[in-house]
Amino acid sequence: MNMNWKGLAALGCALVLIGSACGRDDGDSSSDSDNGDSSSAEDAFINPSEDCDTYDGSAGVDGDTIKIGTIRPADGPYAIYDQVTSGLDAWVESTNANGGVTAGDGNTYQIELIKENDGYDPARTPELAKKLVEQEGVFAIVGVIGTENNKAIRDYLNDECVPNIALATGSPEWGRADEYPWYIAGLPSYATEASMWTDYLQETNPEAKIALLYQDDDFGEAYQTTLQKEIEGTDMEIVDEQSYNPLSGGSTEAATVSLSQSEADTFIVGLGGTPCPATLTFIPETWTPETFVSTTCSGNTALSLAGGKDLGILIAQAVYDPADPADADQPAVQDFLTNGAAAGLDEGQLAGGISSVGWGFGALFGAGLEESDTVDRAALMNTLFSLEDSSFGLVRDEMDITTDGGEDPWPLEGFRIVSRTADGWEEMSPFTNKNGESNEIAG
Amino acid sequence: MKTLRGLGLVQTILWAVALIVVIVLPFTSAPFRVEQYITWMTIAVAAAGLNLLTGYNGQISVGHGALYGTGAYTVAILVTDAEWPLLPTVIAAAIVCFVVGVIIGLPALRIKGLYLALVTLAVATLFPLVIEQFSDLTGGSGGLTLTSEQLYRGSIRDRRVKWESPIDGLASDQWKYFIFLAISIICFVVIANLVKSRVGRSLVAIRDNETAAEVSGINVSRTKILTFGVSAAIAGIGGAMFALNKGQVNPTSFTLTLSIYLLVAVVLGGASTVIGPAIGAVIYGVFIDVISPELPESLHSATPLILGTLLVAQMLMAPSGIVGGFHDLTARISRRKQGGGKQDKNEEVTVTTHEVVAETDLETDPGGFHP
Amino acid sequence: MNDFLEILVVGIGNGAIYAMLGLGLVVIYRSTGLLNFASGELAMFSTFIVWTFWNFGLPMWLAILGGMVGGFLIGVLVHKVAVSPLGDPHERPLAVVIVTIGLFLGLNGAAQLIWGTVDKRLDPWFGVSQITVGGVAIAWQKIGAVVVLFMMVLLLWALFKFTKVGLSMRAVASNSESSALCGVSVQNMLMLGWGMAAGIGTLAGVFSAPNLGLGTNLMQLTLVFGFAAIVLGGFDSILGAVVGGFVVGILSSVVPQYVSVFEKMPLAPAFILILAVLLFRPQGLFGSKEVARV
Repeated sequence: MNMNWKGLAALGCALVLIGSACGRDDGDSSSDSDNGDSSSAEDAFINPSEDCDTYDGSAGVDGDTIKIGTIRPADGPYAIYDQVTSGLDAWVESTNANGGVTAGDGNTYQIELIKENDGYDPARTPELAKKLVEQEGVFAIVGVIGTENNKAIRDYLNDECVPNIALATGSPEWGRADEYPWYIAGLPSYATEASMWTDYLQETNPEAKIALLYQDDDFGEAYQTTLQKEIEGTDMEIVDEQSYNPLSGGSTEAATVSLSQSEADTFIVGLGGTPCPATLTFIPETWTPETFVSTTCSGNTALSLAGGKDLGILIAQAVYDPADPADADQPAVQDFLTNGAAAGLDEGQLAGGISSVGWGFGALFGAGLEESDTVDRAALMNTLFSLEDSSFGLVRDEMDITTDGGEDPWPLEGFRIVSRTADGWEEMSPFTNKNGESNEIAG
Repeated sequence: MKTLRGLGLVQTILWAVALIVVIVLPFTSAPFRVEQYITWMTIAVAAAGLNLLTGYNGQISVGHGALYGTGAYTVAILVTDAEWPLLPTVIAAAIVCFVVGVIIGLPALRIKGLYLALVTLAVATLFPLVIEQFSDLTGGSGGLTLTSEQLYRGSIRDRRVKWESPIDGLASDQWKYFIFLAISIICFVVIANLVKSRVGRSLVAIRDNETAAEVSGINVSRTKILTFGVSAAIAGIGGAMFALNKGQVNPTSFTLTLSIYLLVAVVLGGASTVIGPAIGAVIYGVFIDVISPELPESLHSATPLILGTLLVAQMLMAPSGIVGGFHDLTARISRRKQGGGKQDKNEEVTVTTHEVVAETDLETDPGGFHP
Repeated sequence: MNDFLEILVVGIGNGAIYAMLGLGLVVIYRSTGLLNFASGELAMFSTFIVWTFWNFGLPMWLAILGGMVGGFLIGVLVHKVAVSPLGDPHERPLAVVIVTIGLFLGLNGAAQLIWGTVDKRLDPWFGVSQITVGGVAIAWQKIGAVVVLFMMVLLLWALFKFTKVGLSMRAVASNSESSALCGVSVQNMLMLGWGMAAGIGTLAGVFSAPNLGLGTNLMQLTLVFGFAAIVLGGFDSILGAVVGGFVVGILSSVVPQYVSVFEKMPLAPAFILILAVLLFRPQGLFGSKEVARV
């Protein structure tokens, strides 16, 4: 270690100075190109000339190819969500195989999807989003998994004016489109879902005694807050509640058993992942409540883990279940099953209810492109924020997909209540649209 | 003597090249890469802290991720709740972690070797749960975001902090890079001096034979506790840099996996060497951030498998790590060139500073305590 | 009161699982003096083997047997390739930690590569039905777990007490040099220890998979509970692992329900136990003093 420290330090400082004088030698990426030729830029929801420092509306569009990116966990304990991305991937492949997306400008585009892996760690998401934007130069980001992960890149993507479409989460946070106009959710708000449960209870069991088990994070807390708010002024009551932390290493068994002693007649399971079906197996035979579970675990993949204890559970359903024989004739389901299989989804993925969600995320992006006049980032967002009774993916036909900027930023706001049968679902209460109400419900 | 000067020259050249690379890199890399480099620095610093404890002093910690997390949360809480300016929080994080380290160090006096590894493993597993339990302070699973008031879409809003560069031509990520590089270098210089000092020699003496160290007048208990404190403080600085770089903290970032990676960085680079943890951290970073994403889709989940296999293989074949291996090599060369002559000063330094994990140790005290 | 009893039953069920994992750890410790940080992942891996056989259509007991044999072979392999070259684990603890952590990562990655990322359903061995005793519902699966645990303890006890193999294993653990002189193959005995531990761990996995879903993170946190069990019981005590397992299982189920500061940390009571025991009674409740070289 007998080197000349001073010399090295001096060399270092000199180099920094030279470096800063040269700046970063990246290939001059275009910027400040004219801000979209969208004719009605004045009254549109997003006006890039006002909202963006630098704006390149057609970045990521190269000839007849549009490059998009996504971020999801591909390894580690949350790698199950990779199934969502498989669905998105299948949508891209199937779309390309069938010729591509015909955008509003009359051209047909192939889609190229770049996938990054953040291991579900929100500390890693920002650098990967930057990689997608800076290095890959994507046009938009689609179907990023995880509430915290999407939150972590929200300021960045809104600053850079890069669309983040079909967030794979239903956190009420995504209702803040006025503040974050480049974000649009791909799932219904968890709060709206919870309000469907209480609506149904109000009709069928107005004096419901509720036992609530919720996940100890943004997702579960959205259910908890909404339930408390919705039952206010009614004769319903939450008689006992327990939270569950997926990091804790325990199961939900003790919590479920403890709730079973509460004399509740209604059990609401606000959990995701395997703990959700596992909870159903923990319900003691001495307790027979009417059980609601989160729609995030309503697919075959999740419910097959319940060992038959899923019969009779209730969910609020917004999309077709590709495994439900009653939905099998729907064109959207047919399309998914045929083209999804051709694009490489296996049988488990086709029927599982997870990949079909990712398929829908791709379809929302595709619908936006088709309905926009030009292939332009702001034009795409403005289209998605002014949908009128649109349709995409496996969303049920009864759904009124209508949006209106910050006033009504949620595409999906309707549900029906269904009960689990041996091979599918039985409708308990008809489809209800709550258009424009999601933000108010979340409070 | 000539060869030794030659070796010294080789070393100086290596250092100069490393320095040039480190300085030129942020100018030739995309901003997202620069932020990844900063992450590698935070791991390097924390691993260097861990190395002080585990490499030099022989107290195995599988829980330094928790101390890194403590540093990160200290910064986040001070910035969001107490509205501290950014950089002073690094010092606060070091102090908090020092205290926490001393507290953990007390029971570690009685719990040694594999058993200490077991306890610290439990600490690492427990840390994210503690964060969730005290969510009023820590933000629970939603974490904390370091924000400042910024103008956006016509109004002032709380948005994620930005590092405004005061130097023209230096982008904000580059500015951030050099600040953190400076902090990292300071940490490493402090460690290098500490290790070379009397204190450093007593750390190694305690590791190799606690009783002998006691007899030769070293206050073993005090030294071990203080080592835990200093090691924790440095890990805390790493965590503090992490929080400032990312602008956010979440419990999922501080799981057992992180503690394992810190340990991997130490062992890969070379335990009981000053620069080893930095090299280990960089190799690990390159593997995770640069190589792994380029692997074909079907091999993505193979990343841990590759890493695990490499780790076992390295432990069996080259347990002294990269720097240790390099030192062994240079020591052998100089010995051969001298025709098996007397030990000279340079070589002695080499041996004491890296007295590694390795040495399937017939020549050293058989009753000794080798990490 | 029923409330407490119901949760107590949950704790006993979990305790049986922790005890099984603990038994595997004790067997390894007895034969090699090693704390195996990879034993949870080993159990997870062999549970996947069980699932593969079961999914293929074999009856559950046969699938479990297959998984145990698979686990045994992997354990033997691991010992031969990765562990035995390290020498005495207490001479080089860091090397042991690193190698077992390397195995931990490797087995986890291998399982995800082979069986994918979707959790599998492994039916409870003893079915999903319950009996009600005095208003308290008890799943047959829990009763089955306790019975299997006690059968295993009996077998191990008999093995170590009466058979030549068991005696040789004990001899190797207490003094490998002199047993080598007596003609006992030390390496074979150590390999046997690893294999047995992996086989026993399989049962822990088989009983926890229906509760947690069979995924690659099945055992990552369960392992800490298993360690707490053997710290409490004593690293080398079979009886200790069982008692420790039940105590840890009950505490980690009951305490979070009644003490709000532990509400979200079922691991915390186990951790406090680990710390307290290692500090004040390092040989545990039933361990022998000389073996616990703390």
